[in-house]
Amino acid sequence: MSTLKSLIKRNTKLFFKDRGMFFTSLITPLILLALYASFLSNVYEETFRSALTAAGAAVSDRLIGGCVGGELASSLLAVCCVTVAFCSNMLMVQDKVTGARRDLTISPVKGSTLALGYYAATLLSTVLVCFVAAGVCLLYLAGAGWYLSAADVVCLLLDVFLLALFGTALSSIINHFLSSQGQISAVGTIVSAGYGFVCGAYMPISQFSGGLQKVISFLPGTYGTSLLRNHALRGVFEEMSRQGFPSEAVEAIKDAVDCNLYFFGNRVEMSTMYLILVSTVAALIAVYVLLNRMHGRRKQTGRKGVVA
Amino acid sequence: MNNVISIDHLSKRFGEVKAVQDLSFRVKEGELFAFLGINGAGKSTTINIMCGQLAKDEGTVRICGIDLDADADTIKRSLGVVFQNSVLDQALSVQDNLESRAALYGITGRAFRKRLAELAKLLDFEELLKRTVGKLSGGQRRRIDIARALLHQPKILILDEPTTGLDPQTRRLLWDAVTRLRQERYMTVFLTTHYMEEAADADYVVILDGGKIAAEGTPLELKNAYTGDFITLYGIAEEQAAILKRPCMPLKDACRVAVPNTAAATELILSHPELFRDYEITKGRMDDVFLAVTGKRLTGGAEK
Repeated sequence: MSTLKSLIKRNTKLFFKDRGMFFTSLITPLILLALYASFLSNVYEETFRSALTAAGAAVSDRLIGGCVGGELASSLLAVCCVTVAFCSNMLMVQDKVTGARRDLTISPVKGSTLALGYYAATLLSTVLVCFVAAGVCLLYLAGAGWYLSAADVVCLLLDVFLLALFGTALSSIINHFLSSQGQISAVGTIVSAGYGFVCGAYMPISQFSGGLQKVISFLPGTYGTSLLRNHALRGVFEEMSRQGFPSEAVEAIKDAVDCNLYFFGNRVEMSTMYLILVSTVAALIAVYVLLNRMHGRRKQTGRKGVVA
Repeated sequence: MNNVISIDHLSKRFGEVKAVQDLSFRVKEGELFAFLGINGAGKSTTINIMCGQLAKDEGTVRICGIDLDADADTIKRSLGVVFQNSVLDQALSVQDNLESRAALYGITGRAFRKRLAELAKLLDFEELLKRTVGKLSGGQRRRIDIARALLHQPKILILDEPTTGLDPQTRRLLWDAVTRLRQERYMTVFLTTHYMEEAADADYVVILDGGKIAAEGTPLELKNAYTGDFITLYGIAEEQAAILKRPCMPLKDACRVAVPNTAAATELILSHPELFRDYEITKGRMDDVFLAVTGKRLTGGAEK
């Protein structure tokens, strides 16, 4: 246990000492928020306003602001939890590049302990950065239109934590196979560019083709985005109902912004979304620890060698 | 003396390349063992296998009486390794680095602080503890590398080209520390080096070439087997030495005559006493041994 604690301390210290890694992680969500607010908020707002006007409903700017803000904030946090995890987890590959990994593995430390050390440290930094991002998002929501209850905020933070667990586990498995700076840069770029689309952050899944929607419904990250969106927009929908919006209209909006997700036509409940996410995280962590154990065993006793 | 390392029929290949072929040797307890060879000779592969970093294809490795296949973790506790290049965390302080590495062996808290104080005194880095490793000079960093290798008081210290690129003063300091450790702790040192003068001080030398043992023995045995003696005649010109009918290399104010052995040198002295007024007889150097054995010259890291 003391070894694991020490490894977590070492990895976390290295993350915060590496200004490039730390500031890139921290600044990415803030840049994303600025970009979202500048370029996407108007598009979202116009879409909402025209849809509601067509339905004959009069909506206050504040409610529209809360709705658009909630969608932006949930999108941003959904992307950040995964991209920041990939950024923070660079240390795992850097250790291979610098040779520090060899220095760790010539000791009798277990492969699984090393793996958990990287995982826990990455999780810690990811959660920290994403909580800062969540704070900024909440400030933005306070300005645009605040309809969240204290429970919503707690749930939102819990979703961020769960998605950070997911992002860290995913990045740990992928990074396990990488061994150069170029590879991690390439993977980072691909994840940053692609993840937002496949998790429904950049564009609601409801706008994708039927086939693509079915494929995406198999990806656990999608449910994380939906959880965030449900908690970020719950108050807005409650307010809409209170103002007399027909429930059909509210449900239609929920469908449009992926608060309601469907798996082959069946609506996925929020409790099921949590179950999917938690099970995925557990499975990914198990695979990651297993990979490290197998790697360690292969090096020590395997007859087919691997080049160190 | 007990064998602290026993390697039998060790083989390792990477695809078509046979990195190590049927390697067998012993290292005795407390010995300074030198492992020589050009880059790619199989030195690092052997060390990586010994340290459990690389799987072997065939053969057995026993360290401190334990089979590597049976209990690699116990073996790892017996080994301290100083790598060719420093592998400590450049962004962390010396103390943070050593603390994180000590914890890998279960050394934490008071036990760590006590060990740190001992090592800082032994290797003279007390004033460097708070400094960032990346900002240390090459020599300072090397001392910390050695401290890291010694944290868990290993029985065997593996030095993988530890002095490459270091200035003579730092090399001296490093060797003083290693010598002290050998004398005080009876520590076995397994050395790979490109500096032949370091190998000349070893108790036993193994020369690797193409993954196989090309020669082995004590430096004296190797010199006797692979090089002759040299007589340096001072104040004698090359023309005067020609009378000896031996290969002669002119030096400033002297010439160096090669003879097959010391007996041949004695014969020359007795047959031409007029030439031997100021002279010395020396054994061949380890460079000459290496050249004779491998056909390659090894000087400070470069094969010629």
